[in-house]
Formats: sequence, C-alpha cells, structure tokens
Amino acid sequence: MQQRTVTITNRLGLHARAAAKLVKLAASYRKSRVTLARSDASHQTADAKSIFSVLLLAATQNTLIEITVEGPDEDLAMEALCRLIADKFGEE
Amino acid sequence: MRGSIRKSHEERLEGIGVCPGVAIGNAFLVDDPRGRVVRVFLPKERLESEILRFREAARAAQAQVKVDIERVRTALGSDHAYILEAHLLMLQDRTLGRQIENFIRVNHANAEWAVRDVTQHLLEVYGQIEDEYLRERGSDIEDVAHRIIKILSGKEQRSLNELADNSIIVADDLLPSVTADLDPRKVLGFVTGIGGWTSHTAIIARSVNIPAVVGVRDITERVRSGETVIIDGSAGTVILNPSPETLLFYTEERQRQRQQALYDIEERELPPITLDNQEIRLRANIELIEEIDTYQRFNAAGVGLYRSEFLYSQAETGQPTEEEQYEAYKFLAGMVGDEGAVVRTFDLGGDKLHLEGFKAERNPAIGMRAIRLSLSVEPVFRTQVRAILRAAAHGDLKILLPFITNVDEVRRAKKIIADVKRQLASEGVAHKENIELGVMIEVPAAVMMAEALARESDFFSLGTNDLIQSLLAVDRGNENVSSLFDPMHPAVLRAIKMVSDAAAKMQIPVNVCGEMASNPAQVILLLGLGLRDLSMTPGAIPAIRRLVRSIKLADAETLAAYVLSLDTPAAVRHYVQTHLNDLGSELLAAAHAG
Repeated sequence: MQQRTVTITNRLGLHARAAAKLVKLAASYRKSRVTLARSDASHQTADAKSIFSVLLLAATQNTLIEITVEGPDEDLAMEALCRLIADKFGEE
Repeated sequence: MRGSIRKSHEERLEGIGVCPGVAIGNAFLVDDPRGRVVRVFLPKERLESEILRFREAARAAQAQVKVDIERVRTALGSDHAYILEAHLLMLQDRTLGRQIENFIRVNHANAEWAVRDVTQHLLEVYGQIEDEYLRERGSDIEDVAHRIIKILSGKEQRSLNELADNSIIVADDLLPSVTADLDPRKVLGFVTGIGGWTSHTAIIARSVNIPAVVGVRDITERVRSGETVIIDGSAGTVILNPSPETLLFYTEERQRQRQQALYDIEERELPPITLDNQEIRLRANIELIEEIDTYQRFNAAGVGLYRSEFLYSQAETGQPTEEEQYEAYKFLAGMVGDEGAVVRTFDLGGDKLHLEGFKAERNPAIGMRAIRLSLSVEPVFRTQVRAILRAAAHGDLKILLPFITNVDEVRRAKKIIADVKRQLASEGVAHKENIELGVMIEVPAAVMMAEALARESDFFSLGTNDLIQSLLAVDRGNENVSSLFDPMHPAVLRAIKMVSDAAAKMQIPVNVCGEMASNPAQVILLLGLGLRDLSMTPGAIPAIRRLVRSIKLADAETLAAYVLSLDTPAAVRHYVQTHLNDLGSELLAAAHAG
C-alpha cells in the first residue's frame, strides 16, 4: 500500500476538467484501488475512479489530499497521480 | 365516412407580445432543457426489465456523448471537449448506475423517475458545496440526467439542423445557446411558455425583427411539431388549429404588414414633424449592442436608452471588465454618431452581480437594486463609470442613473463620477470631462421631487413602466391584478404632467422611455402633456413617426388638458377613444386606445 499527502495547487481546484483527468488516470490502473481523502477534520473520502465521488470532495485550491493506492501497480499509479496534481492538471 | 377524423377547434391563447407582426408557419417544438418526468409505480415482475431499459439508455447516452466529443474535438480542439469528457465519466460511473438501479428496485419506480430522483439528490448534495465554481458543476449532472431521460422517453432532442422553412419555434423557454444556433432565414416566429419583455427570446426576436409572443402558459403541451400556428406579436395572441376564415384574415393582415414595411422604408427619411410644425424626437431603446442594426433600419434619432444590464448577464462572472464595457460603449458611440446615446448604469440586484454573501431578497423589485446597489458596491459602479467616461471620448454618450428615490443619491453618484474623472486625468487616460448626467424618474418619490432633482441633473428620463407599477401599486407579472396596470389612469397622467412641468420650469429636457412611448394613443397624451422626446423599441418608430406627422400638437394638448380633469381610467379611455377620429387622421382609427 502506498500513501502520500499532496496539495491541490491549481487555481480552480478539482473542478470538472481536473476531476475528469484524475478519474481517467486512476481508472487506467485497473488492478489498483485508489482512494482520496481530505486531510482535514472531515476526513471525507472518495473513490478516485468515480467522478461523482471526486467532485463531491469539493477540493478547492490549497486543499490537502491524502492519496492511497493499493494493488500490483501501486507505485506507478501513485507516481502518475502525484505528477498530474503537481502539474496543476496541465492548466496553468 | 370521414367521421373518424377528429375535427379540431380553433384555439386562441394569450401571452405577451414582445415583437410585433403576424407570422403563419409550422410549429417546431424545442424541448425544455429541464424536461418533465412522470412517476409510475411498477409491479415487481417488471422491475428487472426496467433496469435493463435503464442500462440500455445509459449505454446509448454514452455513445451519443462519444460522438459529441469527436465532433467538438475536430471542430474546436480537444480542450473544448473536457466538459463532455466529464459527462462521459459520469455516465460510466458505477456509483450512479448502482444507485439508480437500486432506486428502481426499492421504489418500484420507472427508470425516468429513478434517474430524476437520484440525480436530484446528488444535486442537493452539490448545492451545499461552498466553493461557487465547484458548486456550479451541478449543472453538468442535470445535463447528464436530462440526456438519459430523453432517451428513455424516446423524445430525442430534435436537431435544429432539421429546421424546415417557415418554422415557428415553440418552447417553454429558449436557452441562449439554442437561439444562437437558429437559422433566422427559416424562423418566422417565436412562442415561449415563460418569459417577459426582457427575456432572452424577446431580445433576440426584436433584434432580428421576428414576431414573438412569450409567457403563453403550457404552450408546449398544446401544440405538436408540424401543426399550423398563427402568432400575432402585436396583440400577444397565438392561434392553434386556425379555421379557414382566421387563416384568411391573418394572411391578409400579413400581406398588409408587408406592404406597410415597404412604406416604412420609403418613409424612414421623413422628419417626425406634426401638422402644426413641431418636431418630435424619436429615439431607440437598445438592450443589446447587436440590436444597433434595427436602430439604423428605422432611422432613430439616437439611442434614448441603452440598458447596460445585458453586459452583466452575458459576463460569466456577472461583472464585465472595464475593457469589455469600454469596447461595447465605444462601439455604441461610434454607431450613433452625433445623435448620441444615453447609457443607463446597471439596474440589477446583487444576485445578478454574483456578489459574495448576497442573500436572496423577499422583494427584490423594491430591494437592493440599481443606484442603491451602485452606491453600496462602489468598485463595481466605478468600473462602469470609468468605462463610460473613456468611451465618451469617442462619441456623444450620456450617463443615466436608474431608480433614484432621493436627491442625495444623485449627489453621491456625482461625487463618485467626479472622483473617477480626477483619477482618469491623473493617469493621463483619454475621457470626456463634461459628460451629461440624467436621472430616471420611475418612482413616485422622484415625481414629487422632480424640481429638486432637476437642479442636480442635466436631463430626465421618464420610465413609465416602473412608474405605473409603483404609482398604482400593481405587479404586472401577477395575473390577478395585471389588468390594473393602466397607463390611462388619471394618477399616471397627473404624475407625467408634474414631471413635464417641473422639467420645463427648470429648463432641462425630458425623454420618455417606457412602453407608453410606443403606443399611438398614449403617445398623443404624452405629446399633449408637453413631452417632445420619445424613446421606444426600434420597431415601433415607423408607426409613431406616421402618427406624429398626422396630428396637430394643439389638438393633442386640448385632448390632454381635458382628460386631466377626468376621474377614472375608464373615463379617460372612453374619451380618448371617441376623440381619436376627431383628430382628423385615418391612421388614428387603426391606432385605437390600448
């Protein structure tokens, strides 16, 4: 199991376009379970392969998100997801 | 026997005519984007097949979205397809699918109902998201739900590309995106179930000069695509299943109007001068910069009222930037030339400006709107003033303040305008220093204070629509009392007289910009009460020009002086009607008091 905490840095947060990119990427690692959790008091979690779930996190700019990946390709998946977020979803 | 053929009866429906003229064509229904869903309770043995029906619809919806994505990608580039990508992911989302299937099982629900209910619930959850931008994504969920329901009910959105010639567009409400896609050469008219004078459909219809009636309740339930429909945009009437006699009547009427339109073109250069040689200024009310075409078509003497609100409603953030506004005002100034244009500062409520923390008001019409809002969110007002002052360097623009109830509001606005000028000067930015400032007279308090307001301003603009509403305490949108909205009420005429007298005494001009200025019978009264400058929807100018050219001002004054002594609206109406013909014009017979 891999776990890492990252900050959402793009201006608009996890809005539709960003969420779509994230969900598509997560879904491409078919054999792994990917979950996101807000690192705040709510500790709300989301299935990273469900766009509704991700959108409902309502992660705005500067939200801390804990990513958990579990499965045979967890290293690759974690690497790719963190890069996408650090990259501001290719938006700015 | 042909007895099996249902003989349908002619049906007349009333709405609000927002662009005059007769149109006869075939109904083309555009679906309501929000759709309607019927609830059905299913027996247990039907549930599994209902779930299959849902899955099939969801698959079909995915296929549709994929096609759309490809189309958008090729046409606009992959960056523009992202919203559709999100829609596709929503359709593929197992969380949603499972919830809907579960709902069908537990509630014995039909698939449409399940989709609507589950997505509504999701929407409610979304509604609680604090970040406005993220919350807005709820509209994507609605869109997706709508798509599935459409497929389930077999009512695919008919593509507007299928639009046949001679179509009359029928819809509950038309989205701006839909109206933008319509081919104006094929559309003869518009009918919508909701909306008013300033709804989007109304504005578009006027800008392309196509007859339109809005606010015709349940219209989409009563008419089917392909049926013959007659609309009379002047009377606000829609006729379904017209009898041969009605059809003939309106065909002739349409012919007469076409002939009239030709005269209008011939007459457009004729000066609006009364028989006793008084020149009346006829100006145009403009809502959209795009409407400026119609202004030229009817040869208006300038723009008497440019409503800036639409710049705000078109801006995604609710607040257009200084540059966006500057470009629009500059364009306006360039188009109107020496005749000039009056720019009314925004007459909006806080909700429309997307102000943070602005709570919905119980009664926004008498709430924080227009000048009140301008003075309370000064930066937004300053941005608009800056843009107008800069644009006025390129042509004759004037500033008009809406909804003034208090002299102090004018003084405060003037202080801000003076301050913005100083700022522009210190930045070395080109702007107009001596811009004229006008006050809208549209509430009774402003009528009572007209002389004092005249001391603080360069001109008045008499907004009769709002004035009549507040003077007579009538909500025009409330059908129980809307018939009490009466421009012929003696109180209205006396109020107009007060404003006209005060302005004459203080020697400032008054322009009338309400609907009264486009109604021939009421225009006679306005002229008789001393008004010489009328601003109206451009399409009304030819009729008013003809009216002006056919009467003596002295007669109008005699008429007005007499009706001021009458004590009921009915008496005024009766007197005006019976004396219209005495004024010696055959055209007036057609005008009638309305």
